Amino acid sequence: MTAAPAAALLQPAPEYAIDTKKLNLWYGTFQALYDVDLRIRQGMITSMIGPSGCGKSTYLRSVNRINERLGYVRIEGSIDVMGQNIYDPGVELIQVRKQVGMVFQRPNPLPISIRDNILFSHRLHAKGGGDVHQGTPDEIVEESLRTVLLWDKVKDRLKRKATELSLEEQQKLCIARLLPVKPKLLLMDEPCSALDPKGTEAVEELLWELRGQYTILIVTHNMAQARRASDECIFMLMGKVVEHAPTEEMFVTPTHKETSDYIEGRYG
Amino acid sequence: MTTDNSVMFQASSLNRRNEKVQGLYRILFGLMTLMLVTPVLLILGTLVAKGGGVISWEFLFTPPTDGMRTGGVLPALIGTVWLVMTALLLSVPIGIFAAIYLSEYAGDNWFTRTINLAIINLAGVPSIVHALFGLGAFVLFFGFGTSILAASLTLAVMTMPVVIVSTRESLQAVPQAFREACWNMGATRWQTIRRVVLPNSVTGILTGVILEVSRTAGETAPIMFTGAVFFTPFLPQSVLDQTMALSLHLFVAATQVPGIAEEVPYGIALVLIGLVLTMNSASIAFRMWLRGKKKW
Repeated sequence: MTAAPAAALLQPAPEYAIDTKKLNLWYGTFQALYDVDLRIRQGMITSMIGPSGCGKSTYLRSVNRINERLGYVRIEGSIDVMGQNIYDPGVELIQVRKQVGMVFQRPNPLPISIRDNILFSHRLHAKGGGDVHQGTPDEIVEESLRTVLLWDKVKDRLKRKATELSLEEQQKLCIARLLPVKPKLLLMDEPCSALDPKGTEAVEELLWELRGQYTILIVTHNMAQARRASDECIFMLMGKVVEHAPTEEMFVTPTHKETSDYIEGRYG
Repeated sequence: MTTDNSVMFQASSLNRRNEKVQGLYRILFGLMTLMLVTPVLLILGTLVAKGGGVISWEFLFTPPTDGMRTGGVLPALIGTVWLVMTALLLSVPIGIFAAIYLSEYAGDNWFTRTINLAIINLAGVPSIVHALFGLGAFVLFFGFGTSILAASLTLAVMTMPVVIVSTRESLQAVPQAFREACWNMGATRWQTIRRVVLPNSVTGILTGVILEVSRTAGETAPIMFTGAVFFTPFLPQSVLDQTMALSLHLFVAATQVPGIAEEVPYGIALVLIGLVLTMNSASIAFRMWLRGKKKW
Protein backbone atom coordinates (compact mmCIF):
# COMPACT_ATOMS: atom_id res chain seq x y z
CA MET A 1 0.00 0.00 0.00
CA THR A 2 1.27 3.45 -0.82
CA ALA A 3 0.36 6.93 0.30
CA ALA A 4 -1.93 9.05 -1.82
CA PRO A 5 -0.61 10.36 -5.07
CA ALA A 6 0.87 13.81 -4.60
CA ALA A 7 -1.45 15.30 -7.19
CA ALA A 8 -4.42 14.71 -4.93
CA LEU A 9 -2.83 16.90 -2.30
CA LEU A 10 -2.29 19.78 -4.71
CA GLN A 11 -5.79 20.13 -6.02
CA PRO A 12 -6.85 23.76 -6.32
CA ALA A 13 -9.11 25.37 -3.72
CA PRO A 14 -8.70 22.74 -1.03
CA GLU A 15 -11.71 22.18 1.13
CA TYR A 16 -11.31 21.63 4.81
CA ALA A 17 -13.55 19.32 6.78
CA ILE A 18 -12.16 20.64 10.05
CA ASP A 19 -10.86 24.13 10.59
CA THR A 20 -9.49 24.61 14.09
CA LYS A 21 -8.56 28.06 15.29
CA LYS A 22 -6.54 28.82 18.42
CA LEU A 23 -7.84 25.84 20.33
CA ASN A 24 -6.76 25.81 23.96
CA LEU A 25 -7.96 23.12 26.31
CA TRP A 26 -7.54 22.62 30.03
CA TYR A 27 -8.23 19.61 32.23
CA GLY A 28 -8.79 21.49 35.47
CA THR A 29 -5.62 23.57 35.77
CA PHE A 30 -3.56 21.41 33.42
CA GLN A 31 -3.38 22.78 29.92
CA ALA A 32 -3.46 19.94 27.41
CA LEU A 33 -3.67 21.90 24.13
CA TYR A 34 -1.88 25.15 23.26
CA ASP A 35 -3.12 27.34 20.40
CA VAL A 36 -3.84 24.44 18.09
CA ASP A 37 -4.50 25.60 14.52
CA LEU A 38 -5.32 22.68 12.28
CA ARG A 39 -7.04 22.35 8.94
CA ILE A 40 -8.00 18.83 7.99
CA ARG A 41 -8.59 18.24 4.29
CA GLN A 42 -11.91 16.92 3.23
CA GLY A 43 -12.10 13.40 1.91
CA MET A 44 -8.61 12.49 2.99
CA ILE A 45 -7.00 10.47 5.70
CA THR A 46 -5.02 12.52 8.16
CA SER A 47 -3.01 10.79 10.84
CA MET A 48 -1.89 12.23 14.15
CA ILE A 49 1.28 11.01 15.78
CA GLY A 50 3.25 12.00 18.84
CA PRO A 51 4.35 10.58 22.18
CA SER A 52 1.79 9.64 24.86
CA GLY A 53 0.24 12.68 26.48
CA CYS A 54 1.01 15.01 23.58
CA GLY A 55 -2.65 15.94 23.17
CA LYS A 56 -3.52 14.07 20.00
CA SER A 57 -6.34 12.07 21.56
CA THR A 58 -7.52 15.15 23.42
CA TYR A 59 -7.75 17.02 20.12
CA LEU A 60 -9.60 14.14 18.50
CA ARG A 61 -12.06 14.01 21.37
CA SER A 62 -12.80 17.71 21.14
CA VAL A 63 -13.90 17.31 17.53
CA ASN A 64 -17.06 15.45 18.59
CA ARG A 65 -17.21 17.15 21.99
CA ILE A 66 -16.93 13.91 23.94
CA ASN A 67 -14.41 15.57 26.26
CA GLU A 68 -17.14 17.67 27.79
CA ARG A 69 -18.50 14.68 29.62
CA LEU A 70 -15.68 15.22 32.08
CA GLY A 71 -16.99 18.23 33.95
CA TYR A 72 -13.59 19.82 34.53
CA VAL A 73 -12.70 20.48 30.89
CA ARG A 74 -12.45 24.09 29.70
CA ILE A 75 -12.10 25.02 26.04
CA GLU A 76 -11.20 28.23 24.21
CA GLY A 77 -11.02 28.77 20.47
CA SER A 78 -13.16 27.21 17.78
CA ILE A 79 -13.48 24.07 15.72
CA ASP A 80 -15.38 24.46 12.47
CA VAL A 81 -16.69 21.19 11.10
CA MET A 82 -17.86 21.63 7.50
CA GLY A 83 -17.79 25.38 8.05
CA GLN A 84 -19.82 25.48 11.25
CA ASN A 85 -18.28 26.06 14.68
CA ILE A 86 -19.36 23.11 16.79
CA TYR A 87 -18.75 25.11 19.98
CA ASP A 88 -21.34 27.76 19.04
CA PRO A 89 -24.03 28.03 21.72
CA GLY A 90 -26.85 27.06 19.35
CA VAL A 91 -25.22 23.80 18.29
CA GLU A 92 -27.09 20.60 19.19
CA LEU A 93 -24.70 18.05 20.65
CA ILE A 94 -26.74 15.14 19.30
CA GLN A 95 -26.27 16.47 15.76
CA VAL A 96 -22.52 16.87 16.28
CA ARG A 97 -22.29 13.25 17.39
CA LYS A 98 -24.33 12.18 14.36
CA GLN A 99 -22.11 14.05 11.89
CA VAL A 100 -18.83 13.16 13.57
CA GLY A 101 -18.53 9.42 14.19
CA MET A 102 -15.93 8.01 16.51
CA VAL A 103 -14.13 4.68 16.65
CA PHE A 104 -12.26 3.67 19.78
CA GLN A 105 -9.13 1.81 20.67
CA ARG A 106 -11.04 -1.16 21.95
CA PRO A 107 -13.90 -2.20 19.68
CA ASN A 108 -17.10 -1.47 21.59
CA PRO A 109 -19.99 -3.17 19.81
CA LEU A 110 -23.17 -3.19 21.85
CA PRO A 111 -24.17 -6.58 23.28
CA ILE A 112 -27.01 -6.91 20.78
CA SER A 113 -27.18 -8.58 17.39
CA ILE A 114 -24.97 -7.54 14.48
CA ARG A 115 -28.02 -6.26 12.67
CA ASP A 116 -29.22 -4.22 15.64
CA ASN A 117 -25.78 -2.72 16.06
CA ILE A 118 -25.87 -1.43 12.50
CA LEU A 119 -29.38 -0.08 12.90
CA PHE A 120 -28.82 1.40 16.35
CA SER A 121 -27.85 4.93 15.42
CA HIS A 122 -30.15 4.91 12.40
CA ARG A 123 -33.07 4.20 14.70
CA LEU A 124 -31.95 7.05 16.95
CA HIS A 125 -31.79 9.59 14.15
CA ALA A 126 -34.11 8.41 11.37
CA LYS A 127 -37.23 10.08 12.76
CA GLY A 128 -35.48 13.41 13.28
CA GLY A 129 -35.24 14.12 9.57
CA GLY A 130 -31.87 15.28 8.27
CA ASP A 131 -29.56 13.29 6.09
CA VAL A 132 -29.78 9.60 6.91
CA HIS A 133 -29.88 6.49 4.77
CA GLN A 134 -33.37 6.20 3.29
CA GLY A 135 -33.38 2.51 2.50
CA THR A 136 -35.18 -0.33 4.25
CA PRO A 137 -33.46 -1.78 7.32
CA ASP A 138 -32.27 -4.78 5.32
CA GLU A 139 -30.74 -2.55 2.65
CA ILE A 140 -29.05 -0.41 5.28
CA VAL A 141 -27.54 -3.42 7.01
CA GLU A 142 -26.30 -4.93 3.77
CA GLU A 143 -24.88 -1.72 2.37
CA SER A 144 -23.11 -0.75 5.58
CA LEU A 145 -21.60 -4.18 6.03
CA ARG A 146 -20.56 -4.30 2.37
CA THR A 147 -18.83 -0.95 2.75
CA VAL A 148 -16.70 -2.27 5.60
CA LEU A 149 -15.98 -5.51 3.71
CA LEU A 150 -17.81 -7.58 6.31
CA TRP A 151 -20.99 -8.60 4.49
CA ASP A 152 -19.82 -11.89 3.06
CA LYS A 153 -18.44 -13.01 6.40
CA VAL A 154 -21.48 -12.24 8.53
CA LYS A 155 -24.49 -12.26 6.20
CA ASP A 156 -25.64 -15.63 7.55
CA ARG A 157 -25.41 -14.67 11.20
CA LEU A 158 -26.85 -11.17 11.39
CA LYS A 159 -28.97 -12.22 14.36
CA ARG A 160 -25.95 -13.35 16.36
CA LYS A 161 -24.49 -11.27 19.12
CA ALA A 162 -21.96 -8.76 17.84
CA THR A 163 -19.66 -9.52 20.75
CA GLU A 164 -19.09 -13.01 19.35
CA LEU A 165 -17.17 -11.60 16.39
CA SER A 166 -13.38 -11.45 16.28
CA LEU A 167 -11.81 -8.17 17.39
CA GLU A 168 -11.07 -7.18 13.81
CA GLU A 169 -14.66 -7.85 12.75
CA GLN A 170 -15.94 -6.01 15.81
CA GLN A 171 -13.88 -2.96 14.92
CA LYS A 172 -15.17 -3.04 11.34
CA LEU A 173 -18.69 -3.35 12.70
CA CYS A 174 -18.07 -0.31 14.90
CA ILE A 175 -17.14 1.61 11.76
CA ALA A 176 -20.08 0.20 9.82
CA ARG A 177 -22.67 1.21 12.39
CA LEU A 178 -21.66 4.86 11.98
CA LEU A 179 -22.39 4.91 8.26
CA PRO A 180 -26.23 4.73 8.04
CA VAL A 181 -26.58 8.23 9.49
CA LYS A 182 -24.10 9.55 6.92
CA PRO A 183 -21.46 11.19 9.08
CA LYS A 184 -19.15 13.73 7.49
CA LEU A 185 -16.18 12.83 9.60
CA LEU A 186 -14.79 9.65 11.08
CA LEU A 187 -12.52 10.02 14.08
CA MET A 188 -10.44 7.01 15.02
CA ASP A 189 -8.52 6.78 18.25
CA GLU A 190 -5.84 4.12 17.71
CA PRO A 191 -8.36 1.83 15.98
CA CYS A 192 -5.85 -0.95 15.42
CA SER A 193 -3.99 -1.11 18.71
CA ALA A 194 -6.11 -4.01 19.98
CA LEU A 195 -5.77 -5.93 16.69
CA ASP A 196 -3.18 -8.36 15.41
CA PRO A 197 -1.12 -7.48 12.30
CA LYS A 198 -3.60 -9.16 9.96
CA GLY A 199 -6.54 -7.31 11.50
CA THR A 200 -4.57 -4.09 11.33
CA GLU A 201 -3.92 -4.60 7.64
CA ALA A 202 -7.59 -5.31 7.02
CA VAL A 203 -8.70 -2.16 8.82
CA GLU A 204 -6.12 -0.05 6.98
CA GLU A 205 -7.39 -1.47 3.72
CA LEU A 206 -10.87 -0.43 4.78
CA LEU A 207 -9.67 3.10 5.52
CA TRP A 208 -8.54 3.40 1.92
CA GLU A 209 -11.95 2.19 0.78
CA LEU A 210 -13.70 4.85 2.83
CA ARG A 211 -11.30 7.58 1.80
CA GLY A 212 -12.89 10.18 -0.45
CA GLN A 213 -16.40 9.48 0.77
CA TYR A 214 -15.48 10.33 4.34
CA THR A 215 -12.88 12.52 5.95
CA ILE A 216 -10.88 10.41 8.32
CA LEU A 217 -8.77 11.60 11.22
CA ILE A 218 -6.80 8.83 12.85
CA VAL A 219 -4.64 8.90 15.97
CA THR A 220 -1.97 6.26 16.00
CA HIS A 221 1.07 5.17 17.98
CA ASN A 222 2.23 3.14 15.06
CA MET A 223 4.53 5.22 12.92
CA ALA A 224 4.54 2.70 10.11
CA GLN A 225 0.76 2.82 10.07
CA ALA A 226 0.73 6.62 9.84
CA ARG A 227 3.11 6.36 6.95
CA ARG A 228 1.20 3.67 5.06
CA ALA A 229 -2.32 4.74 5.78
CA SER A 230 -2.58 8.52 5.56
CA ASP A 231 -2.43 11.38 3.10
CA GLU A 232 -1.34 13.97 5.59
CA CYS A 233 0.33 13.66 8.94
CA ILE A 234 0.32 15.82 12.03
CA PHE A 235 3.04 15.60 14.64
CA MET A 236 2.18 16.90 18.10
CA LEU A 237 4.34 17.39 21.16
CA MET A 238 3.44 18.73 24.61
CA GLY A 239 0.03 19.96 23.48
CA LYS A 240 1.30 21.84 20.46
CA VAL A 241 1.25 21.07 16.77
CA VAL A 242 4.89 20.82 15.68
CA GLU A 243 4.45 19.85 12.08
CA HIS A 244 1.62 19.22 9.65
CA ALA A 245 2.57 18.07 6.17
CA PRO A 246 1.81 15.53 3.49
CA THR A 247 2.74 12.18 5.03
CA GLU A 248 5.45 11.26 2.55
CA GLU A 249 7.07 14.65 3.00
CA MET A 250 7.04 14.46 6.76
CA PHE A 251 8.61 11.05 6.86
CA VAL A 252 11.24 11.79 4.21
CA THR A 253 12.13 15.40 4.93
CA PRO A 254 10.78 16.53 8.28
CA THR A 255 11.38 20.23 8.85
CA HIS A 256 11.66 20.11 12.63
CA LYS A 257 14.29 18.36 14.65
CA GLU A 258 11.69 17.08 17.17
CA THR A 259 9.79 15.44 14.33
CA SER A 260 12.78 13.65 12.89
CA ASP A 261 13.92 12.55 16.35
CA TYR A 262 10.49 11.11 17.07
CA ILE A 263 10.12 9.45 13.69
CA GLU A 264 13.52 7.86 14.05
CA GLY A 265 12.53 6.55 17.47
CA ARG A 266 14.89 8.60 19.62
CA TYR A 267 12.03 9.17 22.04
CA GLY A 268 8.43 8.15 22.19
CA MET B 1 32.46 -32.51 43.43
CA THR B 2 29.28 -34.25 42.43
CA THR B 3 25.72 -33.30 43.31
CA ASP B 4 23.33 -35.97 44.48
CA ASN B 5 20.66 -35.71 41.82
CA SER B 6 18.49 -38.37 43.41
CA VAL B 7 17.08 -35.93 46.00
CA MET B 8 16.63 -33.02 43.61
CA PHE B 9 12.87 -33.51 43.15
CA GLN B 10 12.09 -34.93 46.57
CA ALA B 11 10.08 -32.98 49.12
CA SER B 12 12.23 -30.92 51.47
CA SER B 13 11.24 -30.42 55.10
CA LEU B 14 10.04 -26.95 54.17
CA ASN B 15 7.77 -28.38 51.46
CA ARG B 16 6.31 -30.84 53.93
CA ARG B 17 5.62 -28.13 56.50
CA ASN B 18 3.96 -25.88 53.92
CA GLU B 19 1.87 -28.81 52.79
CA LYS B 20 0.70 -29.43 56.39
CA VAL B 21 -0.17 -25.75 56.94
CA GLN B 22 -2.07 -25.64 53.71
CA GLY B 23 -4.01 -28.75 54.71
CA LEU B 24 -4.95 -27.21 58.07
CA TYR B 25 -6.33 -24.06 56.45
CA ARG B 26 -8.32 -26.12 54.04
CA ILE B 27 -9.95 -27.97 56.93
CA LEU B 28 -10.59 -24.70 58.77
CA PHE B 29 -12.35 -23.10 55.81
CA GLY B 30 -14.35 -26.26 55.21
CA LEU B 31 -15.50 -26.35 58.85
CA MET B 32 -16.60 -22.71 58.67
CA THR B 33 -18.68 -23.45 55.61
CA LEU B 34 -20.25 -26.39 57.40
CA MET B 35 -21.06 -24.19 60.41
CA LEU B 36 -22.74 -21.79 58.05
CA VAL B 37 -24.97 -24.43 56.54
CA THR B 38 -25.79 -26.29 59.79
CA PRO B 39 -28.26 -23.74 61.26
CA VAL B 40 -30.14 -23.54 57.99
CA LEU B 41 -30.51 -27.31 57.84
CA LEU B 42 -31.36 -27.53 61.53
CA ILE B 43 -34.05 -24.87 61.26
CA LEU B 44 -35.64 -26.41 58.20
CA GLY B 45 -35.34 -29.90 59.66
CA THR B 46 -36.90 -28.94 62.99
CA LEU B 47 -39.73 -27.08 61.31
CA VAL B 48 -40.57 -29.93 59.00
CA ALA B 49 -40.25 -32.53 61.76
CA LYS B 50 -42.35 -30.67 64.33
CA GLY B 51 -44.67 -28.64 62.14
CA GLY B 52 -45.03 -30.80 59.07
CA GLY B 53 -47.81 -32.77 60.73
CA VAL B 54 -50.24 -29.89 61.00
CA ILE B 55 -49.86 -28.74 57.40
CA SER B 56 -52.96 -29.61 55.44
CA TRP B 57 -55.28 -27.90 52.98
CA GLU B 58 -57.53 -27.19 55.91
CA PHE B 59 -54.68 -25.53 57.85
CA LEU B 60 -53.89 -23.30 54.87
CA PHE B 61 -57.44 -22.40 53.91
CA THR B 62 -59.43 -21.89 57.12
CA PRO B 63 -59.29 -19.09 59.68
CA PRO B 64 -58.11 -19.81 63.24
CA THR B 65 -60.78 -20.95 65.68
CA ASP B 66 -61.10 -21.42 69.43
CA GLY B 67 -58.90 -18.44 70.41
CA MET B 68 -56.36 -19.41 67.73
CA ARG B 69 -55.75 -22.81 69.34
CA THR B 70 -57.21 -24.68 66.41
CA GLY B 71 -58.13 -23.97 62.82
CA GLY B 72 -55.84 -22.60 60.12
CA VAL B 73 -53.85 -19.57 59.05
CA LEU B 74 -55.77 -18.29 56.04
CA PRO B 75 -56.24 -14.63 57.13
CA ALA B 76 -52.58 -14.38 58.10
CA LEU B 77 -51.40 -15.99 54.87
CA ILE B 78 -53.54 -13.73 52.70
CA GLY B 79 -52.61 -10.72 54.84
CA THR B 80 -48.89 -11.32 54.37
CA VAL B 81 -49.36 -11.60 50.61
CA TRP B 82 -51.26 -8.28 50.63
CA LEU B 83 -48.57 -6.60 52.71
CA VAL B 84 -45.67 -7.87 50.62
CA MET B 85 -47.31 -7.05 47.29
CA THR B 86 -48.39 -3.57 48.33
CA ALA B 87 -44.96 -2.84 49.78
CA LEU B 88 -43.31 -4.04 46.56
CA LEU B 89 -45.64 -1.93 44.41
CA LEU B 90 -44.62 1.11 46.44
CA SER B 91 -40.91 0.54 46.94
CA VAL B 92 -39.75 -1.13 43.72
CA PRO B 93 -40.63 1.65 41.23
CA ILE B 94 -39.40 4.41 43.53
CA GLY B 95 -36.25 2.48 44.42
CA ILE B 96 -35.39 1.63 40.82
CA PHE B 97 -36.04 5.16 39.55
CA ALA B 98 -33.95 6.63 42.34
CA ALA B 99 -31.14 4.20 41.61
CA ILE B 100 -31.24 5.08 37.91
CA TYR B 101 -30.98 8.75 38.80
CA LEU B 102 -28.09 8.17 41.18
CA SER B 103 -26.21 5.88 38.82
CA GLU B 104 -26.88 7.43 35.41
CA TYR B 105 -27.72 11.10 35.90
CA ALA B 106 -26.29 12.46 39.15
CA GLY B 107 -22.77 13.78 39.04
CA ASP B 108 -20.19 12.91 41.65
CA ASN B 109 -20.57 15.82 44.06
CA TRP B 110 -21.19 16.42 47.76
CA PHE B 111 -24.96 16.32 47.24
CA THR B 112 -24.92 12.87 45.66
CA ARG B 113 -22.49 11.62 48.26
CA THR B 114 -24.77 12.87 51.02
CA ILE B 115 -27.74 11.06 49.47
CA ASN B 116 -25.73 7.86 49.18
CA LEU B 117 -24.67 8.13 52.80
CA ALA B 118 -28.29 8.70 53.83
CA ILE B 119 -29.41 5.60 51.93
CA ILE B 120 -26.77 3.43 53.58
CA ASN B 121 -27.77 4.78 56.99
CA LEU B 122 -31.44 4.23 56.25
CA ALA B 123 -30.62 0.59 55.56
CA GLY B 124 -29.05 0.35 59.00
CA VAL B 125 -31.97 1.76 60.98
CA PRO B 126 -33.47 -0.93 63.30
CA SER B 127 -36.91 -2.11 62.22
CA ILE B 128 -38.57 -1.07 65.50
CA VAL B 129 -37.53 2.52 64.76
CA HIS B 130 -39.13 2.23 61.34
CA ALA B 131 -42.22 0.90 63.11
CA LEU B 132 -42.49 3.97 65.32
CA PHE B 133 -41.82 6.22 62.34
CA GLY B 134 -44.57 4.47 60.41
CA LEU B 135 -46.96 4.84 63.33
CA GLY B 136 -46.23 8.55 63.59
CA ALA B 137 -46.11 9.35 59.90
CA PHE B 138 -48.55 7.07 58.11
CA VAL B 139 -51.01 5.96 60.80
CA LEU B 140 -51.38 9.28 62.63
CA PHE B 141 -50.07 12.19 60.53
CA PHE B 142 -51.39 11.07 57.14
CA GLY B 143 -54.41 9.51 58.82
CA PHE B 144 -54.30 6.12 57.10
CA GLY B 145 -55.07 4.51 60.45
CA THR B 146 -53.81 1.02 61.20
CA SER B 147 -54.19 -0.42 57.74
CA ILE B 148 -52.41 -2.45 55.10
CA LEU B 149 -51.52 0.83 53.41
CA ALA B 150 -49.77 2.25 56.48
CA ALA B 151 -47.99 -1.04 57.19
CA SER B 152 -46.89 -1.46 53.57
CA LEU B 153 -45.63 2.10 53.41
CA THR B 154 -43.57 1.43 56.53
CA LEU B 155 -42.21 -1.77 55.01
CA ALA B 156 -41.50 0.07 51.76
CA VAL B 157 -39.51 2.79 53.49
CA MET B 158 -37.57 0.14 55.32
CA THR B 159 -36.69 -1.97 52.30
CA MET B 160 -36.22 0.78 49.72
CA PRO B 161 -32.50 1.23 50.53
CA VAL B 162 -31.92 -2.44 49.67
CA VAL B 163 -33.60 -1.98 46.30
CA ILE B 164 -31.67 1.23 45.59
CA VAL B 165 -28.29 -0.18 46.52
CA SER B 166 -28.71 -3.47 44.65
CA THR B 167 -30.18 -1.74 41.58
CA ARG B 168 -27.41 0.81 41.52
CA GLU B 169 -24.83 -1.94 41.72
CA SER B 170 -26.32 -3.87 38.82
CA LEU B 171 -26.48 -0.67 36.76
CA GLN B 172 -22.85 0.07 37.50
CA ALA B 173 -21.93 -3.45 36.45
CA VAL B 174 -22.89 -2.56 32.86
CA PRO B 175 -19.59 -1.71 31.15
CA GLN B 176 -18.97 1.99 30.61
CA ALA B 177 -17.92 1.21 27.02
CA PHE B 178 -21.55 0.38 26.15
CA ARG B 179 -22.69 3.78 27.34
CA GLU B 180 -19.88 5.56 25.51
CA ALA B 181 -20.72 3.73 22.32
CA CYS B 182 -24.31 4.99 22.59
CA TRP B 183 -23.41 8.56 23.49
CA ASN B 184 -21.00 8.69 20.59
CA MET B 185 -23.77 7.80 18.21
CA GLY B 186 -25.85 10.67 19.55
CA ALA B 187 -28.10 8.77 21.93
CA THR B 188 -29.53 10.74 24.82
CA ARG B 189 -29.05 9.46 28.34
CA TRP B 190 -32.57 8.08 28.43
CA GLN B 191 -32.14 6.28 25.10
CA THR B 192 -28.91 4.82 26.43
CA ILE B 193 -30.59 3.67 29.63
CA ARG B 194 -33.66 2.30 27.87
CA ARG B 195 -31.89 0.44 25.09
CA VAL B 196 -28.64 -0.68 26.61
CA VAL B 197 -28.25 -0.19 30.36
CA LEU B 198 -31.58 -1.59 31.59
CA PRO B 199 -31.70 -4.66 29.33
CA ASN B 200 -28.25 -5.58 30.60
CA SER B 201 -28.98 -5.08 34.27
CA VAL B 202 -32.55 -6.29 34.66
CA THR B 203 -31.59 -9.68 36.08
CA GLY B 204 -29.41 -8.07 38.74
CA ILE B 205 -32.19 -5.64 39.62
CA LEU B 206 -34.63 -8.53 40.05
CA THR B 207 -32.20 -10.23 42.41
CA GLY B 208 -32.45 -7.19 44.67
CA VAL B 209 -36.23 -7.37 44.51
CA ILE B 210 -36.18 -11.06 45.44
CA LEU B 211 -34.08 -10.27 48.50
CA GLU B 212 -36.61 -7.66 49.44
CA VAL B 213 -39.54 -10.08 49.20
CA SER B 214 -38.01 -12.40 51.79
CA ARG B 215 -37.23 -9.58 54.13
CA THR B 216 -40.63 -7.93 53.82
CA ALA B 217 -42.56 -11.14 54.42
CA GLY B 218 -40.68 -11.90 57.62
CA GLU B 219 -40.73 -8.49 59.27
CA THR B 220 -42.86 -8.23 62.40
CA ALA B 221 -42.00 -5.06 64.25
CA PRO B 222 -42.83 -2.55 61.49
CA ILE B 223 -46.32 -3.95 60.95
CA MET B 224 -47.50 -4.62 64.48
CA PHE B 225 -48.18 -0.92 65.22
CA THR B 226 -49.19 0.06 61.73
CA GLY B 227 -51.55 -2.46 60.20
CA ALA B 228 -51.34 -6.01 61.50
CA VAL B 229 -53.69 -7.23 64.19
CA PHE B 230 -53.59 -10.19 66.59
CA PHE B 231 -56.75 -11.70 65.27
CA THR B 232 -59.44 -11.10 62.73
CA PRO B 233 -61.48 -13.79 61.04
CA PHE B 234 -62.00 -11.54 57.99
CA LEU B 235 -59.88 -11.33 54.90
CA PRO B 236 -58.80 -7.83 53.85
CA GLN B 237 -61.00 -6.23 51.19
CA SER B 238 -58.85 -3.17 50.47
CA VAL B 239 -55.56 -1.59 51.50
CA LEU B 240 -57.39 0.44 54.11
CA ASP B 241 -58.35 -2.68 56.09
CA GLN B 242 -56.43 -4.14 58.98
CA THR B 243 -55.14 -7.63 58.52
CA MET B 244 -53.45 -10.56 60.18
CA ALA B 245 -49.94 -11.41 59.07
CA LEU B 246 -47.99 -14.66 59.31
CA SER B 247 -45.02 -13.15 61.12
CA LEU B 248 -47.12 -11.52 63.82
CA HIS B 249 -49.41 -14.56 63.99
CA LEU B 250 -46.36 -16.73 64.64
CA PHE B 251 -45.21 -14.40 67.41
CA VAL B 252 -48.67 -14.41 68.99
CA ALA B 253 -49.14 -18.17 68.68
CA ALA B 254 -45.73 -18.87 70.14
CA THR B 255 -45.93 -16.50 73.11
CA GLN B 256 -49.47 -15.24 73.80
CA VAL B 257 -51.84 -18.18 73.42
CA PRO B 258 -52.03 -20.50 76.42
CA GLY B 259 -52.80 -24.12 75.79
CA ILE B 260 -51.98 -24.11 72.08
CA ALA B 261 -50.72 -27.36 70.61
CA GLU B 262 -46.91 -27.29 70.33
CA GLU B 263 -46.85 -28.06 66.64
CA VAL B 264 -49.06 -25.14 65.57
CA PRO B 265 -46.36 -22.40 65.81
CA TYR B 266 -43.98 -24.69 63.92
CA GLY B 267 -46.60 -25.15 61.27
CA ILE B 268 -47.09 -21.39 60.98
CA ALA B 269 -43.34 -20.88 60.62
CA LEU B 270 -43.26 -23.54 57.93
CA VAL B 271 -46.05 -21.80 56.02
CA LEU B 272 -44.17 -18.48 56.27
CA ILE B 273 -40.95 -20.00 54.95
CA GLY B 274 -42.89 -21.85 52.27
CA LEU B 275 -44.53 -18.61 51.17
CA VAL B 276 -41.19 -16.80 50.94
CA LEU B 277 -39.66 -19.67 48.99
CA THR B 278 -42.63 -19.76 46.63
CA MET B 279 -42.42 -16.02 45.98
CA ASN B 280 -38.65 -16.27 45.47
CA SER B 281 -39.04 -19.17 43.06
CA ALA B 282 -41.60 -17.20 41.10
CA SER B 283 -39.22 -14.25 40.81
CA ILE B 284 -36.35 -16.53 39.85
CA ALA B 285 -38.50 -18.14 37.18
CA PHE B 286 -39.45 -14.68 35.92
CA ARG B 287 -35.78 -13.71 35.86
CA MET B 288 -34.87 -16.79 33.86
CA TRP B 289 -37.73 -16.14 31.47
CA LEU B 290 -36.44 -12.60 30.93
CA ARG B 291 -32.92 -13.86 30.35
CA GLY B 292 -34.18 -16.31 27.78
CA LYS B 293 -36.31 -13.67 26.09
CA LYS B 294 -33.41 -11.26 25.75
CA LYS B 295 -32.12 -11.54 22.24
CA TRP B 296 -28.52 -11.32 23.36
